[in-house]
Amino acid sequence: MNPPGSLAGLDPNLDEHLSTQILAPSVHSDNPQERIQARRLRIAARLEARRREALGEYLDGKKESEEDQSKSYKQKEESRLKLAKLLLCGTELVTNIQVAIDIREIHRRVEEEEIKRQRIEKLENEVKTSQDKFDEITSKWEEGKQKRIPQELWEMLNTQQLHCAGLLEDKNKLISELQQELKTKDDQYVKDLKKQSDDICLLLERMEEQVKNVMKTFREELYNIEKAFEVERQELLASNKKKWERALQAHNAKELEYLTNRMKKVEDYEKQLNRQRIWDCEEYNTIKIKLEQDVQVQQLVLTRVPGWRSTWPTPVNVSCLATTCDILEILEQQLQQRKAIYQLNQEKLEYNLQVLKKRDEESTVIKSQQKRKINRHFALIDDEKFREIWLMNEEEAKDLIARAFDVDRIIHTHHLGLPWTAPDFWFLKNVGPISQQPQKSATQIVEEMLMHTEEEEAEEAASEPESYLDLPKQISEKTTKKILMVLCDESGFLIESKLLSLLLPLEQNECYLLRLDAIFSALGIESEDDLYKLVNFFLKYRAHRLSSSLQIKSCSQASMEKASMEKASMEETSMGSELELAEQTEMEGAKEESLVEGEKEEEEETPPSPWDIHPNDVLKILEAFVMGLKKPRDSRAPPRVQKNMRNNSKDSEYWQALTTVIPSSKQNLWDALYTALEKYHIVLTQRAKLLLENSSLEQRNTELQALLQQYLNSKINSELQVPPTQVLRVPTK
Amino acid sequence: MQETVTTSALLDPSHSSVSTQDKSSTGGHTSSTGPQPSKPSITPVSAKSRNPHPGANFHRMRRIIAEDPEWSLAIVPLLTELCIQHIIRNFQNNPILKQMLPEHQQKVLNHLSPDLPLAVTANLIDNENYWLRCCMQRWPVCHVAHHGGSWKRMFFERHLENLLKHFIPGTTDPAVILDLLPLCRNYVRRVHVDQFLPPVQIPAQLRPGDQSDSGSEGEMEEPTVDHYQLGDLVAGLSHLEELDLVYDVKDCGMNFEWNLFLFTYRDCHSLAAAIKACHTLKIFKLTRSKVDDDKARIIIRSLLDHPVLEELDLSHNLIGDRGARGAAKLLSHSRLRVLNLANNQVRAPGAQSLAHALAHNTNLISLNLRLNCIEDEGGQALAHALQTNKCLTTLHLGGNELSEPTATLLSQVLAINTTLTSINLSCNHIGLDGGKQLLEGMSDNKTLLEFDLRLSDVAQESEYLIGQALYANREAARQRALNPSHFMSTITANGPENSVG
Repeated sequence: MNPPGSLAGLDPNLDEHLSTQILAPSVHSDNPQERIQARRLRIAARLEARRREALGEYLDGKKESEEDQSKSYKQKEESRLKLAKLLLCGTELVTNIQVAIDIREIHRRVEEEEIKRQRIEKLENEVKTSQDKFDEITSKWEEGKQKRIPQELWEMLNTQQLHCAGLLEDKNKLISELQQELKTKDDQYVKDLKKQSDDICLLLERMEEQVKNVMKTFREELYNIEKAFEVERQELLASNKKKWERALQAHNAKELEYLTNRMKKVEDYEKQLNRQRIWDCEEYNTIKIKLEQDVQVQQLVLTRVPGWRSTWPTPVNVSCLATTCDILEILEQQLQQRKAIYQLNQEKLEYNLQVLKKRDEESTVIKSQQKRKINRHFALIDDEKFREIWLMNEEEAKDLIARAFDVDRIIHTHHLGLPWTAPDFWFLKNVGPISQQPQKSATQIVEEMLMHTEEEEAEEAASEPESYLDLPKQISEKTTKKILMVLCDESGFLIESKLLSLLLPLEQNECYLLRLDAIFSALGIESEDDLYKLVNFFLKYRAHRLSSSLQIKSCSQASMEKASMEKASMEETSMGSELELAEQTEMEGAKEESLVEGEKEEEEETPPSPWDIHPNDVLKILEAFVMGLKKPRDSRAPPRVQKNMRNNSKDSEYWQALTTVIPSSKQNLWDALYTALEKYHIVLTQRAKLLLENSSLEQRNTELQALLQQYLNSKINSELQVPPTQVLRVPTK
Repeated sequence: MQETVTTSALLDPSHSSVSTQDKSSTGGHTSSTGPQPSKPSITPVSAKSRNPHPGANFHRMRRIIAEDPEWSLAIVPLLTELCIQHIIRNFQNNPILKQMLPEHQQKVLNHLSPDLPLAVTANLIDNENYWLRCCMQRWPVCHVAHHGGSWKRMFFERHLENLLKHFIPGTTDPAVILDLLPLCRNYVRRVHVDQFLPPVQIPAQLRPGDQSDSGSEGEMEEPTVDHYQLGDLVAGLSHLEELDLVYDVKDCGMNFEWNLFLFTYRDCHSLAAAIKACHTLKIFKLTRSKVDDDKARIIIRSLLDHPVLEELDLSHNLIGDRGARGAAKLLSHSRLRVLNLANNQVRAPGAQSLAHALAHNTNLISLNLRLNCIEDEGGQALAHALQTNKCLTTLHLGGNELSEPTATLLSQVLAINTTLTSINLSCNHIGLDGGKQLLEGMSDNKTLLEFDLRLSDVAQESEYLIGQALYANREAARQRALNPSHFMSTITANGPENSVG
């Protein structure tokens, strides 16, 4: 960091110069240490100023009143007095010079005046004497004019000359005297100047000295004051410290005292606690003994009263020890007994638990069956209810329509005189809900199928083919059943083992049903179509394999199936309405024809026989089926919920149609007719009113005529002087 | 006769040389805006300046001082910085200052050269720092406190003073001063001139042969020694408050001539007219100028009924009783607060007239008659006046040939007067008895703080005792100043204490 030589030579000079110039470290200095010093000083000064600013007034106000006797105050007063005296003396010393010069000046003036006066006097005297002399000389001139003798004149002139010379000499003497005086005055002036410069030097010296003195003393006094303050502060600190220490000691002593007190108390409490504990223990023991005795007594009394009484006639409280031993013995015996009983009970309960578990299993199976049944039942009931409500509403609507038709008919025949023809709409003939055949799930179909076959078996009426199911395909129920049976037997691996164990105690049919349910769910068969696909697949497979050797047998079976199907359908549909029945019979008929035709064709082509399906082939067929089914499966995934949904799209149409039985043109006609009839009615009522009025007026007329007749014919008329009959005439004139 | 002629002939060239010297010096000062010779590291100015030494400059460049506000890390100077530099360089031709932001203004002001022409800076720059630099550059010693603490005011006052000091009537162009007038008229409050140069006596130099007749020469010279006429200047300064003039020539050396020190009647009349027209003048001082009775009366007449004049100082002149009478008249016709007639020739009649005016005056607080000769008659008259006066606080009667009778009367005054704080009776002939009487008077006085009795033949004992009494009074006054609310109690409390001490 050292600068190069030439600069190094210059910088110290500069620094020296600066330091001497400013007399304090400067922040602009070249020396880093000095700069740091300067900054420190500056910071200190700022802090000091701020502190003073903050405390200044407060302290000033306080000083006078509180610190009267303090050391610093005394010191301050002392310093102030001293400094005031110093200043006064110093000023006096300096001004002394001025005063001295003043007085010298005054003396000089006085002297000057005196000299001046003397000089003037002298000059005046001289003027007077010279005037005298001059007068003398001038008078002599007159005298001289009269002189005629040259010698005399010469003599006189000589004397005149002498006189003149004397006068001149006098004057010259005066002049030289004055000049002398002037010279001395000049000297005096120079001396005075010198004196004045001396005085001024002295004055300056004294002033400088005073400044120095004052500064010195001020500094000293400041130092003294600071020292006094410092001492005072030290004292204050010491006293405060002493106070603090005393307080701290007192505090410590108190703390110690509290501690010992506390410890004593803790010990006390511990003792008390111990005592209390011992006492409690004793009390507990006594109470326990007492209670045990009581219990023993009770038990003695309760359990073996006679035995004990007989064997131990001595009173209980004869000897405490003896009784307790006995009691213990008894209690042990009782404990053994109880344990035996618990063992027994436990076994019983375990057995019960097993039984209950079994029952629970059974009940779960039953529950699932019941659920199925209940589901169906609820569906039926819902249907029934729906039907009832439908019929009720329909009936009501039909009533209303009939009334409307009646009214219409009356209007037509009576008021318009037109012939009335009852309108003919399709919906008027409809009774009951508009139904569509819902799609059924595979299991449902199988269930129904099984049920039918069961019934069949029970009734031994094989002739009836039960297929209300409108099977569009050429598959008989029996074939299906057989195929399914085979499937069920062969593909047990698709069913969970747990389910199989549960199915064991069930009926054969139910067993089959549940099994098939499981198999279908495993194969992914959900809807009716899937089921038939499966069956078809089986049949086709067989067709590939078999020859047409067993055609006749299958043919007979097929006819039998057909018959049974028809009968079943008849039975099923019997609960429907007559209309529906009619329709269905028509449809059945049509189907029957087609079925017969289809089956004929089938018979011709491939006479199916389920017995020919070898159980070994089942797995292969299934595998092929599943492989084939997979592809279309992905695309179609209809939600199962739709199955039970009834198609109600036609309902609103139907009910809407019911409301428009009377067309709007007819309604307009009715409105017009209504207004016309209304008017007609008003006219008629007016006429009736008028007729009534007329008749009442006629009646009154007759009455009045009778009265008049009566009055005219009475006697009073003649008795009066002027009969009212005449009076009546007067105004008319 | 011959002698005088020769002396004048001999003196003339030297005199002219003096005048040329003056001229050159005035020229130097009038062109103060020109480059000044730099004086490196002599005054604090140069110490504060940024690069006092070219050699140190390089070294300083490499240093980082935390206090340097100019230090910047930027390699390329900012545009604002460049603009500011440009403005600084071209300030003389295109002064832009007020339109800038305050911090930029500050920067520009810090870098402006103090040598710029006043016509540019005078009415544009109010920044004290700039004028401080201007002042520091021109004058090594600056007492800004004498100029109301304002550097700008100081600069213009001293500049004007310089011009006036070196103005030579008939030679210097009056425009030099009149041109400055519009620039400084708002800033100058005080004009202090302690020298007025007489015109150059060219005719004497040209016609040495003609000056055979001394009488004619005297007649001829009388009109030529008139000094600069202040009328225009004083009328132009709108804030002038103080006028401190000395018709004197300094440093004449061997060229001394009585003629140099003439305060002519024409000067007197023009000055009187100027101060009469100046209604802002508060302080007027005309000292050491050979003002005699007539001139004093001319000036005082112009000051009669002046609206604001507070202080009149005619000390060190030749004023006699007639002038004093004029001053007495002024006392009753103005608001004069300070009157200084020290070192004049006032005698008893003058003092009597002053005393008459003082008796009922309510404005004057200070009267200085030092080094006159009022004697006992005048002193007694003043003492009588002080018995009724309730305003005067300072009275200086030093060196007035006073003696015991005056002291007797003054002691009576001391006992009753409560306004006087300072009396000076030094250099008189009070005498021992007079001192005792004054001591008696002091014992009843609680207000007097200063009483100067030096060199007045008073016994040391009484002087000491008077000093004690004064000390007590000073302490009481201090207590009163500290807490004016309960000064009564402090007086009573401090009274015994101080008497003991």
